[in-house]
Amino acid sequence: MTELATRQLTKSYGDRPALEPLTLDVESGAKVALVGHNGSGKTTLMKMAAGLLDPTDGTVQIGRHPAGSQEARRLLSWLGDMPTFYDDLSLWEHLEFVARLHGVADWQGDADELLDQIGLTARRDDIPTTFSRGLRQKAAITLAFIRPFRLMLVDEPFVGLDEPGKRALLTLFDAASRRGATLLIATHELTFVSQVGRLLALRDGKLVYDGAPADTDVHALVLPS
Amino acid sequence: MSENALDVLHDLRRRRKRHRLDDIEWFDAAYRVYLVALFGGGTVLWISSSVVDSTLSDRAVADIARNGPALIGMVTAIAFLAALRSGAQGGPLALEAPDVSYVMLSPVDRARALLRPATQRVRSATYLAATFGAIVGQLAGRRLPGTPVAWAASGVLFGITTAMLWAGTALVAHAIRLPLWTATSIGLAGVAWQSAALVWHIPGPANLDGSLAMWGWRQHPIDLAAPLLALTFVAAGVGMLQLTSLDALARRSSLVAQLRFAVTMQDLRTVILLRRQLNQEQTRGRPWVAVPRWVGHPIARRGMASVARFPATRLVRITVFAAMAGVLQAMVVRGTTPALIGTALMLFVLGLEVMEPLSQEVDQPDRTDGLPIERGELLVRHLIAPALTLVPFAVVAAVCAVSVLGTTSAIAPAFILALPTVLAGAAGGVVSIVRDAPDPTRTTQQAFVPPEMAGLSNAFRIGLPILVSTLAASTVLLVRQAERLGTSTTGAALRGAIGASLLTLLITYWVRRRDHWRRKIRQFMADGQSYAKQRSTPA
Repeated sequence: MTELATRQLTKSYGDRPALEPLTLDVESGAKVALVGHNGSGKTTLMKMAAGLLDPTDGTVQIGRHPAGSQEARRLLSWLGDMPTFYDDLSLWEHLEFVARLHGVADWQGDADELLDQIGLTARRDDIPTTFSRGLRQKAAITLAFIRPFRLMLVDEPFVGLDEPGKRALLTLFDAASRRGATLLIATHELTFVSQVGRLLALRDGKLVYDGAPADTDVHALVLPS
Repeated sequence: MSENALDVLHDLRRRRKRHRLDDIEWFDAAYRVYLVALFGGGTVLWISSSVVDSTLSDRAVADIARNGPALIGMVTAIAFLAALRSGAQGGPLALEAPDVSYVMLSPVDRARALLRPATQRVRSATYLAATFGAIVGQLAGRRLPGTPVAWAASGVLFGITTAMLWAGTALVAHAIRLPLWTATSIGLAGVAWQSAALVWHIPGPANLDGSLAMWGWRQHPIDLAAPLLALTFVAAGVGMLQLTSLDALARRSSLVAQLRFAVTMQDLRTVILLRRQLNQEQTRGRPWVAVPRWVGHPIARRGMASVARFPATRLVRITVFAAMAGVLQAMVVRGTTPALIGTALMLFVLGLEVMEPLSQEVDQPDRTDGLPIERGELLVRHLIAPALTLVPFAVVAAVCAVSVLGTTSAIAPAFILALPTVLAGAAGGVVSIVRDAPDPTRTTQQAFVPPEMAGLSNAFRIGLPILVSTLAASTVLLVRQAERLGTSTTGAALRGAIGASLLTLLITYWVRRRDHWRRKIRQFMADGQSYAKQRSTPA
């Protein structure tokens, strides 16, 4: 079953194309890495799939639902590269509301476990807007995982994370994969690429590689033209 | 789903409200309210008392009866244009960034979730417009048939109707993804039609709303169609909330947060900058004209390069400000003294708009500090290009003033007074920009303003630039006085022009010497403190 499908998906900013027409299918349970140089169109693609950016042309579907629709939002968890938080709610309250907004009634146990895994238990009652860059990223990770999802889109998840944080995140990715969730992870961390089954590479808004990571020179793929 | 997402959302909002209320420093809040009441109320009372209480002549009253609906309707037509453009650019709603990330991306019914932000937007717009309508209405009631109270009520009605029309139109334009050029074309067509209604006395699209504003004098039941239409637009806009673009909400969310912070800090320069970003107003990649080779000085060249890249929308806006300043000055000459405040505000905002090279320099203090030139001199040199830019806009102001006055005897005074007034008025903007700039002479240990004076200091910070612009606009009073006394209006204009020019020179000198003076004051205070410390230390 296809979890993410794009058809001639295009985005332009004025005359400048950010993503050339892209047709792509990501199957259920796949773990996919998306690489490319700065400005190659990774974030643009992910944001359109999350429903945060209107396509100039083409379509994106999550499951069988248009991106951004209520059903698509139920299936998709988005972990962006610029975490945002309410400045008047603690991390614990953030977890509570995100979980409840997604219909998770018994969220406390999962929240405790997540905080413990990521190393934020001691900061659960603090306001996350006061956190450092790395701690904010960790807080955002807990919020992305506290809710149920079938597809997770992740943009630059390793930025600002310390080594224990990176290891915890990889563990969470593995656990999600084992549960059958689909993961699409945009990253510049090329060592991570060997852990996925499928690699997508964008260059100047065009898909230049779609295949197994072992069959290509990843470092060459991320060079701008 | 175990519980309704909307109930969770309401719970979230309730809890956030409780947290915010807990965090409020009530004494500080009360002090701010006191200051606003003191200065805001004082200004309104001053304007009210400056209106001559004598009623207008029969001819003037007949003129207002004939042209009033079309003229006031122009406000509605412009609000309609602004609403269409706002909707086309992703407005009028703005959510907090986390609301976009967590609420809008959750499986909650977006139309229901956006209902409250939409209601708040409509409510705040109607409240603001109603207040403004009431103030203008009661001023009108002092000179026109009808009581000030009745006029204030009709002003409120007009304000609410116009604000509802604005909000509803913007919501609809957003939902149907109206392209910006279509929005601008439709809006401009409306303004052109309304202008034609004013000039040729044909029915205008906003005449009914304009006529509603005159209910303090006489009532036409047909005018009630205007609020009904506005309500219909609001209902349609709210009904289409499901179609709101998350793309636009995400883009605007961070800008709106910064905008609110800037408003809280009374940082007018940042407010204007962020408004431009919200409207997606971008500097032209290719300048309108190349900077002439004979302009050799790098700062002057940099200034001209900046001005030559002003986008068309900003140039149109500056032209409108200049034109309105001219019209308002003509109204002052005709006896409406409070119009001076309007002129001052127009010139002040015009100054903030046109002083882009100066603002850019102020926004980059680290780069400024790295230049081998004294800051005061650098800032003064940055005034040259904007000052030259203001010349054609001064001509626009003069032409508009003469058009409204409708007499050839106004040509000479208007053109003599226009440029010095526009320059001195824009100097208010300069004061605001330079005062808000980071102070390189200050260290963190030095804070000589006691906390109890900080509120007054803030009020002074906002008030001084407006005062400068008001002084510049006041030069027109000399012309009015000369006209009333039957003396030479040209001579009066010359005196006014000299006064305005002196004010401009004074502000320029202040910009040049400000750092020097501040350094001296701080040194003096530091010396005083160290002397006091020495005396208190036992030998």
